[in-house]
Amino acid sequence: MRVSLNWLREFVDIDLGAAELAHHLTMLGLEIESVHVPGEELENIAVGEITSIEPHPNADKLVVCKTDVGEGEPLQIICGADNMKVGDKVPTAKVGGRLPGGFDIARRKMRGVESHGMMCSERELGVGEDQGGLLILAPDAPVGADAVEHLGLDDVFLEIEVTPNRGDWAGVIGIARELSASLGASLRQPYRGPSTEGNPPVTGLSSVTIDAPAHCPRYLARVALNAAVKPAPLWMRSRLTGAGLRSINNVVDITNYVLLETGHPLHAFDLDTLAERRVVVRLAEEGETLVTLDGEKRKLDRDTLVIADAREPIAVAGVMGGEPTEVGENTRNIFLESAYFNPKSIRRSARALGMATEASQRFQRGADPEMAAHALERAAALLHELAGAQIAHGVLDEYPKPVERPEVTLRYTRTNDLLGTEIPPSKQTRFITSLGFTSLEETSTDARFRAPSWRHDVSQEADLIEEIARLYNYGEIPVALPRVSRTETEFAPQDRRIRRLRGFLVGLGLTECLHMSFSSERQTEKAGLNGRALRFVKLLNPLSENMAAMRTSLIPGMLGHAAHNINHGRSTLRSFEIGPVYFPAPNETDLPQQTQRVVFLLTGNRADRHWSAQPAPVDIYDIKGLVEALFASLRLDPSVTEARHSAYTPGQCGEVRLNDTVVGAFGRVAPHVLKAFDIEQPVYLAELQLDALLAHEPPAPQFQKIPAHPPSWRDLAVLAPVDTPAGAVVQAAKEAGGKILRDVQLFDIYKGRQVPSGKKSLALNLVFQAQDRTLTDKETDKAFQKILHRLHKDFGAELR
Amino acid sequence: MRDQLEAVRGEALRAVADAADLQSLETARVHYLGRKGVLTNILRNVSEAPEEERPVLGKTANEIKKAVVSAIEERKQALEAKVLEDQAEQDRADLTLPGRRPSFGHKHPISQVIEEITDIFAGLGFRVATGPDIETEYYNFDSLNTPADHPARDLHDTFFVKPGVVLRTHTSPVQMRVMEQTAPPVAVIVPGRTFRVDADASHSPMFHQVEGLWVDKGVTFAELKGALMLFSHAFFGKDTEVRFRPHYFPFTEPSAEMDISCTVCKGQGCRVCKHLGWLEILGCGMVHPEVFKYANYDSETYTGFAFGMGVDRMAMLKHSIDSIHHLYENDVRFLEQF
Repeated sequence: MRVSLNWLREFVDIDLGAAELAHHLTMLGLEIESVHVPGEELENIAVGEITSIEPHPNADKLVVCKTDVGEGEPLQIICGADNMKVGDKVPTAKVGGRLPGGFDIARRKMRGVESHGMMCSERELGVGEDQGGLLILAPDAPVGADAVEHLGLDDVFLEIEVTPNRGDWAGVIGIARELSASLGASLRQPYRGPSTEGNPPVTGLSSVTIDAPAHCPRYLARVALNAAVKPAPLWMRSRLTGAGLRSINNVVDITNYVLLETGHPLHAFDLDTLAERRVVVRLAEEGETLVTLDGEKRKLDRDTLVIADAREPIAVAGVMGGEPTEVGENTRNIFLESAYFNPKSIRRSARALGMATEASQRFQRGADPEMAAHALERAAALLHELAGAQIAHGVLDEYPKPVERPEVTLRYTRTNDLLGTEIPPSKQTRFITSLGFTSLEETSTDARFRAPSWRHDVSQEADLIEEIARLYNYGEIPVALPRVSRTETEFAPQDRRIRRLRGFLVGLGLTECLHMSFSSERQTEKAGLNGRALRFVKLLNPLSENMAAMRTSLIPGMLGHAAHNINHGRSTLRSFEIGPVYFPAPNETDLPQQTQRVVFLLTGNRADRHWSAQPAPVDIYDIKGLVEALFASLRLDPSVTEARHSAYTPGQCGEVRLNDTVVGAFGRVAPHVLKAFDIEQPVYLAELQLDALLAHEPPAPQFQKIPAHPPSWRDLAVLAPVDTPAGAVVQAAKEAGGKILRDVQLFDIYKGRQVPSGKKSLALNLVFQAQDRTLTDKETDKAFQKILHRLHKDFGAELR
Repeated sequence: MRDQLEAVRGEALRAVADAADLQSLETARVHYLGRKGVLTNILRNVSEAPEEERPVLGKTANEIKKAVVSAIEERKQALEAKVLEDQAEQDRADLTLPGRRPSFGHKHPISQVIEEITDIFAGLGFRVATGPDIETEYYNFDSLNTPADHPARDLHDTFFVKPGVVLRTHTSPVQMRVMEQTAPPVAVIVPGRTFRVDADASHSPMFHQVEGLWVDKGVTFAELKGALMLFSHAFFGKDTEVRFRPHYFPFTEPSAEMDISCTVCKGQGCRVCKHLGWLEILGCGMVHPEVFKYANYDSETYTGFAFGMGVDRMAMLKHSIDSIHHLYENDVRFLEQF
């Protein structure tokens, strides 16, 4: 909300400058988002009086004026407007002056005639939208005076963020009230209601019936007769523009002005358009419709509170009025509404109709049933003053169910116990009563207060303590170091391990990605995923098609990452992500399942380019190596088998198992998937179920004695059929080697010219060692032969 | 023979001095001191000299031999040193060439900031807790004193999975989950993903928060201030100024927002702080008695404070990142800067 400082000053004396006031309000909880000074951009603009208007000798659409700005000879000014006459007072920018947007006024020639300044329109001054001609000032405006001051443009506007609990702050008076409490200045009530003595009584002109008192506890109205609908005066229009509202006509502007001043929304109906000239507050009936002020035809449901006349709805209560009963140029008689609606009811209507208006937002936050009466009086007085209306005698005030004002007890010690302060009881009481609370009872230990009608947000002791803290000033509350007593409960035992793992992966040279949790069926299918990955948790209100569901895999995000970076010239990527995926719960009533996954992506070269080595592209063994390193770091022993997977290239894909449970897969991304992502180079991925891995926490490693006796090494090279799995050969060797075989390393695989076709050479390095003795050649020879025999038997392998 | 000896001395010492490398030095040694060497022969022939000359000759010959041996040794050391020097010259590394650096990766800045924040609070005795991203309305709103018709719900543009189930709009629901799990005292720090239907230049539909909660006997607002000031100094630096001002959250009372002096202009006023000199960092307050009711905690016996901060914003401020969208683009040119 935007509030004018001059307006505030009508209600309370403020000795603070704009910046100090902004700070003061901020520390009270009224956050100032910005400070505007509209006159800031206006310089050297005087009130001028036009003393002559002559035609321009060389231009049909221009005139030559003489304008007196109180400095000797009148200025000769060329002007294109035609709404002025001799004797009019107009804002006149003198040579050396400045208009919004840094527009400097200089002496210039227009079609051969000199011009010494510029007479301005509202728009040129930045105060309004009217560009129909010059802004004609009041006849009594003093010639030569500063027009900025005269127009009230020296004002300061504060943009305030009002928190949803404080509907009472949504008006000038509410903020003035807060300042009065905190500055100790008294609150002025400068205006009186309309004088209605001798006017026709309202009861003979209209009536109000409330059929839904739970939705509308109070409804007030006045009737204004013979109003002249015309533009509002400039002072009112400039306050509305300053607050960001558009001027419409004096009647509508008055309701808006009072809205800004009191925070209370009003509505004016054209009385003569109401059937039987009366109002009924009721719920809409099935099938009823209303064309609202914005021209939309609204279908109303049976929970929507409406204002109706004797026949049909004329407004959506507290949200928006109807077009047929709108106040227009021909309106003479006005039915002015000021009501207190139930916040929940208005919230429901606004939501059901998808409308959010100034009025609905204020009623939703909770209005003030007493301010309703005050606002009505203020508006009626303005209608009399500015529209010449005759205000009917009396007020229609239906208040079947008075709104209760909460009573709350405050214990003085509780305040200090909660805040860590030592605020004396008298001070506590003073703070509370300065905010308009009524003290009902005070003892040495506690006090009981009744909240003012505008403070429905206060319902318990903690609320009063906050009020005390606010007025005491949060900055004055002391600072103490917390003494947290350590508790044993571990709420997220995996967090520490995931963190360690992240550090480990970064150490391995992988860079961490973080993608949003959203995905879509299309994105997921594009990544070649199917089966369970296509069972989504879907959003009812997604932002876009691509973010319509929660992700079921980290792969689509990583492929997008690869495509993006390759496109931007980074063809070598080593990346990972740790994050959640989501699946529908098997049981409808449960929350969806959320589990952690880890994904690796490799593409491009194995190492960064270096002057000492040729770049080598990554292959399937690099991605497998990462998977192995991950398991090794967790001290887990997985098994890998070749698998078929829709996202990966056949023959280049492995499935990873832990204790016979599949925990993930890795491989070279399938060509059709790469194509879908516009990637033209091989990409390797591995995705693992991190939660399944972390579910196993191996016990702390136990020390193994370091052998005291030297090992002996033997190399073994065999020829085996080309399709023999190397892993199986190593496994068989391990089994056949017996206790003294400590380790087997496969150190070479060769296929080619020096090996018969259909065969490959496998070279193993065998390490023999015993814990208690140095092995004899005889012992190792024997084991070596056993291994060779086994390899021959199992695979038809021959010593090479 | 004496003359001959003197001639050999001069000749041998010259040969040693002239030896240009170890090879020629060895040749000289063999020539003079070898089994058939010149000096060896002379020494062998001393016995054939007249008896009265023998002692003098023998002595002289031995002196000469000693001198030659020591000259050779000296020369050898010099030559060996030279060899090493030559070798070193040949092996000299070009230290302007880049080393063979093991490549290392980069933690995402969000992860780094979460780790830093949780570490600071872990040091104060807070334990990490987590909760589900897809949450019930009960935990996300109702149990946090935000019933269905509460105006504060309007501030959360909520993603719905189905009626009653939402993507959590803040990490606060974990407060309730933790309190349901354990009796007080409790002190947790809760990092996590959060979601709101909001996507523009400065908003991302997914972002991160860290929530904190401490409940015990006698927890005060003064300690809330202390904990968060300590945090701000640790995270943003000791010179950072901190202020608390009243605000509104349904689940705390009193509530506050904490500002820090602008990290860019140090409070002088700039574009980043909208010329206010202060940056809003987090929301906090004393746990609302209604929230304790939902948790079955006795609000007469226990008090507590809670706070929540935007991780993305913290990361952006700390590293001067100008758009939230960088954080989720996963461009390595961005990631490698951290």
